[in-house]
Amino acid sequence: MPAREKLNLLKKEFGSALLRADVPSDHLLFIYVEASAIQAICRHLFRVLDARYVISIGADNRPYSGKFLVSHHFAFDAEDLFCGLLVELPGEDPVIDSISNDVPAANWAERELSEMVGIKLNGHPYPKRLVLPTGWPEGAHPLRKDTPWNEAPADYDEKREFQYDAAPEGCTVVPFGPFHPTLDEPAHFRLYIEGEQVRGCEYWGFMAHRGIEKLAESVLTYNEIPIMAERICGICGCVHNVAYAQAVETAAAIKAPPRAEYLRTLLLELERLHSHLLWVGLACHIIGFDTMFMQCFRIREPVMWIAEKITGNRKTYGLCVIGGVRRDLTAELKTELRSVLSRLEAEWMVIVTAVLDDRNIQLRTKGVGVADRALVKEFGLIGPVARAAGVAMDCRRDHPYAAYDRVEFKVITAEDGDVWSRLVVRATEVFESIKIIRQCLDRMEPGPIALEIKDELPVGRLGLSSVEAPRGESHHFVITGENNRPRRWRVRAPTYQNLQAVPRMIKDQQLSDMTISLGSIDPCFSCTDRLETIDLKSGTLRVWSQKELLEMTRKRER
Amino acid sequence: MTRMVLGALANVGLLLALAPLGEGALRKVTACLQSRRGPPLWQPYMDLLKLLGKEDVESGQSPAIQRLAAWFSLAVVLTISCFAPLGFRPPLSDAGDVILLIYLLTLSGVCSLIGGLAAGSTYSLLGIGREMMSMIALEPLFAIALIIGAVHAHSLRLDAVLNGSVYATDGFPWAGVLMLGVMAASFQAFIQRAPFDISEAETEIMEGPLVEYSGPKLALFKYAQMGRLIIHSALFVALFVPWGSGFVFFWAKVAAVILVVTLVAATHARYRIDQAIRFYGALLGAGFAALALASIGF
Amino acid sequence: MTLLAKFHEALAGLKAGRVTLPYPAEKRPTAPGFRGRPIFDATKCIGCAGCANNCPAREILVMDVCQEVRILKYLGRRCTYCGRCADVCPEKAITMSAEYETATDAVGDLSQRLELFMSTCQRCGRCFEAPTPLEALKLNGYRSDDLEHDRWVFRSKSYFKDRTVEDVPIEFD
Repeated sequence: MPAREKLNLLKKEFGSALLRADVPSDHLLFIYVEASAIQAICRHLFRVLDARYVISIGADNRPYSGKFLVSHHFAFDAEDLFCGLLVELPGEDPVIDSISNDVPAANWAERELSEMVGIKLNGHPYPKRLVLPTGWPEGAHPLRKDTPWNEAPADYDEKREFQYDAAPEGCTVVPFGPFHPTLDEPAHFRLYIEGEQVRGCEYWGFMAHRGIEKLAESVLTYNEIPIMAERICGICGCVHNVAYAQAVETAAAIKAPPRAEYLRTLLLELERLHSHLLWVGLACHIIGFDTMFMQCFRIREPVMWIAEKITGNRKTYGLCVIGGVRRDLTAELKTELRSVLSRLEAEWMVIVTAVLDDRNIQLRTKGVGVADRALVKEFGLIGPVARAAGVAMDCRRDHPYAAYDRVEFKVITAEDGDVWSRLVVRATEVFESIKIIRQCLDRMEPGPIALEIKDELPVGRLGLSSVEAPRGESHHFVITGENNRPRRWRVRAPTYQNLQAVPRMIKDQQLSDMTISLGSIDPCFSCTDRLETIDLKSGTLRVWSQKELLEMTRKRER
Repeated sequence: MTRMVLGALANVGLLLALAPLGEGALRKVTACLQSRRGPPLWQPYMDLLKLLGKEDVESGQSPAIQRLAAWFSLAVVLTISCFAPLGFRPPLSDAGDVILLIYLLTLSGVCSLIGGLAAGSTYSLLGIGREMMSMIALEPLFAIALIIGAVHAHSLRLDAVLNGSVYATDGFPWAGVLMLGVMAASFQAFIQRAPFDISEAETEIMEGPLVEYSGPKLALFKYAQMGRLIIHSALFVALFVPWGSGFVFFWAKVAAVILVVTLVAATHARYRIDQAIRFYGALLGAGFAALALASIGF
Repeated sequence: MTLLAKFHEALAGLKAGRVTLPYPAEKRPTAPGFRGRPIFDATKCIGCAGCANNCPAREILVMDVCQEVRILKYLGRRCTYCGRCADVCPEKAITMSAEYETATDAVGDLSQRLELFMSTCQRCGRCFEAPTPLEALKLNGYRSDDLEHDRWVFRSKSYFKDRTVEDVPIEFD
């Protein structure tokens, strides 16, 4: 009973600071604590009990309880337990102590909740604006319930410029992005270079804001949100789709039928296949090896075709509704899927055997972008980045969901924590995914694919779900609400954590290694940037002349 | 006199006509290895025409010098073509000697340095930094090859040197064979193809020295690059693969060299500048050893 | 051995042959269940507006012109091709076609407009008045956009410069 044991441990240690506990299941623990004790309790969980930091969430609960809510989530991977520490803050002038000094991984999450919900932080080491655009006025907090979802603040200042930190002594500044051939999505890394060595960098991101969380709370309904969730990302969309559905199902204590769980598992693994094959190709392209890039994409294409046959679209599968899935798998599709997998396995085996012997690729990727076990712990790194450093962490095995408790697979790890190890981990996981899909095809029993939900879902319940995306753990948190939509939905994509460690990974490495180091965490900026709607449609059209565009880019460079 | 001028123009015309074809063949073979159809063979001609027709945008710190650098790079390559054997004895081969050829080859490398410096943007400065480091290590190699030929042929005349003179010793041509190995290993770096296309790494520094060039200036630089592929292959064949004669046979040998270049370029990842410099350093050591061997008669 | 590895990599590419497809000269056929542009069949539609209520992108609008005529309009601008409308339609009046080449510069190209003659009650001769079971969704607060009095549903005021869209007047809240 891991939940009860941890609760008792914490009660012994902190006694009166724990106000209330909800134990919805053996694997889920929500504790409401005093605001003054939150730092100490988080430190205890992170350092003494060696929990993994997942995310911090802010919510505006004023219409329902008159209070603001802050939740810090931790995971105990060895015991399949998620622990949420919730603090209720007064509706007027909410303030909370920052935990980022003890838990460095919480840096971004706290900045985000501070500016989106308007909760003041005490003692944050780097309280700079993270998500909202530069011209956004102070005091306008989008995720508050009194801010409409299509708010376009009148005092938005589009001329305000981003304030960069000061560069260290003796370094040239090399701007990397937002437009760069290597980046798929806009992001800005301001590199401080000495000669060819990178001495540090500043990250300015969140340029692809789309306002999905606010839309989900205000406009969409429970069954419409999965469609939007899968558009958070163009590569791991199915993950968000399933994680959201599972979070709501956890909150409402619903279990999807077994066939639906197998189908979800199958499509999640199919997505992992396409994502890893894409990544290996992309990594080779970054180091200048375009032939391998073409080969990986050629081998990957049948996966997209079979996904189109199964779900109706190459990538946006539209898989889940609350309580099940929307489409079933016919017998012909099963046979076709098996043959696609055999062909894929044979071709990929040839490529992997060749690449493992290829010293040319190894020279560019060994010892580059190293993230060791200490960095993994400090920043809460997840996914292949953590597994390549030797930390055997995988949500499919540690916190089983869907049908993962009914299939066998290995968790692949490597030792060195550099880009080469990540490449080996991802390339080998392809074979494990193929094995899992085959087991699902064998073990799936006929039956219903979705529950018939006759009543309204219960209101005010907390639910969370972690799904192992190809990039790491994708964690969704839902508070169910009225009017057929959630009160709060928080998406924590894996790149959100992994990106925070990139400045450390590229420090004291060469400039040429910067792109492959960044690429090796398999960054998905769309996943990371999902937050805010900016309604700038003033209706005027501005045509920029080439001279003006140049002026704009030169201003940023200097 | 008029024969010399007409001959020089013939060489220039031949190079201008054939250089994009060489590039087109390179792209087609690369596409085959990548399971693609690839662009048609005459695509580079179309690309150059398209670039020449674009607006000549002035970006970068010193547009006048940028324009000069673009013209200069093509002009230097065309000048070298007057001295290089393109299947027949070069028309101006009496007008210069090996020293002039070495000078012109180095000058063609300097042109892109000037181009990058004139552009003055962060990425172009990074690119020319890499190119400067490579040039210091690489340019001596071709020079050493020509000098070994000159030592063996006891003359600095171009037609004496540029026909396999590296092998012209009494016994086994140790210096020649060693230099053949060194040149073969460094050939990709001279024409800036993978794995040594470091100064113009698109995915790292956004084309390096060429980042502020577009339209007609870029067309000139690209034309010069394509020309350099043909020129270097022709010089390599003339120095190291002298067997067989005749116009057609010469171009067959050059085509074979380009094929090998393509295969290597398509199957390798780009190296980092520090790894490349170490490699060039080793080659430079071997080159000096070959020069020493040549001077004592081997 | 690196050289052998390179040889195998090159061989894998050569063995596969040329995989370039001749699109757009020849289109590859789509899979049977492909979710392309939804096609609305006016002969089957009963005007229940289930599709309008379940569209995540709010691209299907419903308006009653008078007692017996209901207009259902699929705007298709932000359609995500999710297929929820087709799933929910009780009469199977919506099919997800195989059209995916829907890029256009005229926003009206994709819209489909159905004019439906609603049936009347045999006894009193009137159409069913609000709240129909589906308009009850609005009263329950499930939808924040307004179906009451059968107005156009819209999202943000700032999207509309003038008060008509394709000569149908829009009323603002």
